[in-house]
Amino acid sequence: MSEAMKEADLVWRLLRKNISVAQIAGYAVANLVGLSIVMIAVQFYRDADSFISGRTADNSEYITVSKRVGAFGLSDTRFSGSEIDTLRSQPWVADVGQFTASRFNVNAAVDFNGNQMSTALFFESVPDRFLDIVPAFWTFEPGDTEIPIIMSKDYLSLYNFGFAAARGLPTVSEAMIGMVPLRVSVSGNGRQQYFRGRIVGFSSRLNTIAVPEQFMQWANATFGEGDDSSPSRLIVEVSDRGGKDVKDYLESHSLDVGAGMNTSQNRFILSVLVTVVAGIGAVICLLSLFILMLSLHLLMQKNGDKIHSLMLLGYEPRNVAAYYSRLVAMVNIAVFAASSVVMIAVVSLLRTPFAAIGAEASSPLPAIVIGLAVIAAVTTVNLITINRKVRSRFY
Amino acid sequence: MMISLTILNMQILSRLNEMPVIESVTLDHVVPEVFVGNGDGPLCERSDVWNTDLTLHRGRLYLISADSGTGKSSLCSYIYGNRTDYAGRIMFDSDDVRTFSPRKWSRLRQNAISILPQELRLFPELTAMENILIKNRLTGYCSVSRIVEMLDMLGVAGLADRRAAMMSVGQQQRVAVVRALCQPFDFLLLDEPVSHLDRRNNMIVSDLLADEASRRGAAIVATSVGNDIMIENTICLKL
Repeated sequence: MSEAMKEADLVWRLLRKNISVAQIAGYAVANLVGLSIVMIAVQFYRDADSFISGRTADNSEYITVSKRVGAFGLSDTRFSGSEIDTLRSQPWVADVGQFTASRFNVNAAVDFNGNQMSTALFFESVPDRFLDIVPAFWTFEPGDTEIPIIMSKDYLSLYNFGFAAARGLPTVSEAMIGMVPLRVSVSGNGRQQYFRGRIVGFSSRLNTIAVPEQFMQWANATFGEGDDSSPSRLIVEVSDRGGKDVKDYLESHSLDVGAGMNTSQNRFILSVLVTVVAGIGAVICLLSLFILMLSLHLLMQKNGDKIHSLMLLGYEPRNVAAYYSRLVAMVNIAVFAASSVVMIAVVSLLRTPFAAIGAEASSPLPAIVIGLAVIAAVTTVNLITINRKVRSRFY
Repeated sequence: MMISLTILNMQILSRLNEMPVIESVTLDHVVPEVFVGNGDGPLCERSDVWNTDLTLHRGRLYLISADSGTGKSSLCSYIYGNRTDYAGRIMFDSDDVRTFSPRKWSRLRQNAISILPQELRLFPELTAMENILIKNRLTGYCSVSRIVEMLDMLGVAGLADRRAAMMSVGQQQRVAVVRALCQPFDFLLLDEPVSHLDRRNNMIVSDLLADEASRRGAAIVATSVGNDIMIENTICLKL
């Protein structure tokens, strides 16, 4: 040990007297619990939210609207150009896209353990900017023999948690589905062609079986019968989420909302739950902060005379405070690191059940950033307290 | 490690920015607040120090003799920036010390003024040597060998490794004297520096203090209630 270090230890030997390890440990444990709860709540919210709503990063929300079907199914359910324009001009509408329906027959067959199953299907397409996921190879050119398909996540859930569960069939994951080759037959207008269909993704925003627009245009032109291009479903990007204006407008125009609307309700309930839990965590953090403040207060009271003596020797208040600040900062860094580990451990335990219902794992970075912000705020309060208390011993 | 490096840097910095020398300390009608009346009439009786205009000059030796309770420790604390409960002004050259920040005081206490408090203020849990080093590490003024030499002169070198709590007051007093000398200063405030020393030790301590002060061209301001420090050519003031 160098001479300078030995001498630096002299001051610390004086100042560390009366530091209560039990109080500091109590603070650290309480703060660890509080901070972990806050961080887990944030991470849980993000994971669950990505599942509840396939929303984009800018917080906008998408709803699918269609006209209400009358009692006898006689009314026209298609949207005219002027109706679309009126909708588009609403202040809460950021963008409107049309679902283009297939005007041809689709039949899909799959080989399953040697048995062939086939079913009639339909396709729809929306402009790419309305997709919540844009997979690689989301294109089609005439002459291609493969059609990329995006399926609604609901269909998979319906199969896994409804059909498969009831029949004792194995559940399937998104990745497994993607590997199943579909034989798709497209026919109409006196022609027929076979394609390989491949499910390239699952959408939680679109409640349909979607194909690229390029394919839809080409196929409707090639196999389509009649040329009615008016859409019966619209996808609307709502800028201000789930507001009253939206509900009123939809009600007055007899419009039904498909996927999307209860998303905002679910998300609301989720956010209330998460806020309550995070709030409890924050309160625990705050209480732990008080423990430390009391402990520091006591320490400064007990060591006040020594601190005063050091200052009479020419030590600056901030140099004396630095010894305590360093201790508190190190405890806080350890608390933060431990909380991050706890959060990541808990979240990875949740990952398996989450993955089973199709929730995507989100990056832990935002939770860590929030944890860091909390611990930084706590540390700032600590350091200000220490400096003020030490300074008050100057005279 | 980090802290010790920072403090080392700080020392180097403070030595680079040498503080200007304090040539004089002026007491402009200074009166301890406890002596101040209710506002009417004279603040308190005038003495050589209180309620008058007194300037102490660098390089001179002042002996302030006083009865108990007349405020000699207060005087040292006022000049040392340790207490501010007085009326009037104290000026270091042309600067009013009330305007000084703790940071400025800390630098003055490392470089320009030194004190030997009456209550000594040694840390009881540290040894004599550690009590001196804890000051010297701030200033880097004395080598360890010089510290041992001074302890030896005062007859307490053998106690260097003894904890302050285990020493007599007279022994502590001599250790505190060495500690007060471990820095540059223009004014050395001694609050009853030899109160617990016999005549022989008084002489040794007085010689060392006078010697160190003259080496620095500094002033000594010593208080006494009877056992005066034995320095020659002092200017005597009565509190």
